Amino acid sequence: MIAEETLVQELQQEASRAKAFEVLVNTYKERLYWHIRRIVLNHDDTDDVLQNTFIKVYRNIDQFKGDSKLYSWMYRIATNESLTFLKQRSKKMGISDQELKDRMVENLQADVYFEGDEIQLKLQKALSTLPDKQKLVFTMKYFQEMKYTDISEALETSVGALKTSYHLAVKKIETYLKEN
Amino acid sequence: MKKDKKNNFQTPEGYFESFNDRLMDRIHEEEVKEAESRIPRTDGFVVPDGYLDGLTPTILSKSFEKEPKVISFKPNRKFYYGAAAVAALLVLFFGINWNPNTEPISFDDLANAEIEAYFEQTDLDMSSYEIAEVVSVTDIQLNDVLTDDLEDDILMDYLDENVDDIEELNLEATP
Repeated sequence: MIAEETLVQELQQEASRAKAFEVLVNTYKERLYWHIRRIVLNHDDTDDVLQNTFIKVYRNIDQFKGDSKLYSWMYRIATNESLTFLKQRSKKMGISDQELKDRMVENLQADVYFEGDEIQLKLQKALSTLPDKQKLVFTMKYFQEMKYTDISEALETSVGALKTSYHLAVKKIETYLKEN
Repeated sequence: MKKDKKNNFQTPEGYFESFNDRLMDRIHEEEVKEAESRIPRTDGFVVPDGYLDGLTPTILSKSFEKEPKVISFKPNRKFYYGAAAVAALLVLFFGINWNPNTEPISFDDLANAEIEAYFEQTDLDMSSYEIAEVVSVTDIQLNDVLTDDLEDDILMDYLDENVDDIEELNLEATP
């Protein structure tokens, strides 16, 4: 696997940009797909947001200064694109953010790309009750098994705050599953 | 290292000072592990077959598309639009006062048909005496003031019934 520093250099040079970008897409498309999917839930919406994310990465690669890791920067773009997508949808539908989340979870039952059982559907309902950031911390730690240091870079939050957030999230989810 | 006075056992530097924090961290970790054990390990989402494999060419082609050209609004265009606006105002201003010698409109300018139409359609709410004060009756004919034209036969019938001596009317024979 190509070293990240080398990849960044090649991405920021016109002659090698296209080839390097192909490598970047192949390396990170699956991780970013699941990160976005766990925010927007629906596959087709995920496809749109994922493509927009990579297009933004390509068009703004010259502005990447190397202050963080490349994938942390990409995760930030993916997160912002996903949350903006949801915001725009709720505004377009004239409903609150929470109402949109509730509807999205309800729609999962009829979604051909959701094969979860009853407990997994309840988990999605529990997750929809969490604040956005808390849910992000949980999914990145629990499902994507990212290290706290990497999550800290991606979400620009201290490790201590992340640990607290994660702790609160799992307790809330556990309580929700017990009570429902 | 701290040394106990009564025996030769030692503890690492800062061990007791940091004990509480380490203990709370451990308790939290145990709580988290216990909660995690009750949460499903997978979330049930699946991806269409072949989707991820076919994704790269789509992303590359869309990313390499040239962005639409942005038309810049140059400063000199603003000048031209401003000048055009001022010119339009000047034309409007001078256009209103273009012919200061126009004579006031009088009744002579109105066609007779227009005047007749006005009187026919408008309820003047004037008594016959008020009308007589302003309308000259020298050359007026009876049919000029009646809404319905009177035929001569009907007029003669009326006179015959209401006038005892028709000679009193002093009518002149008309050729």
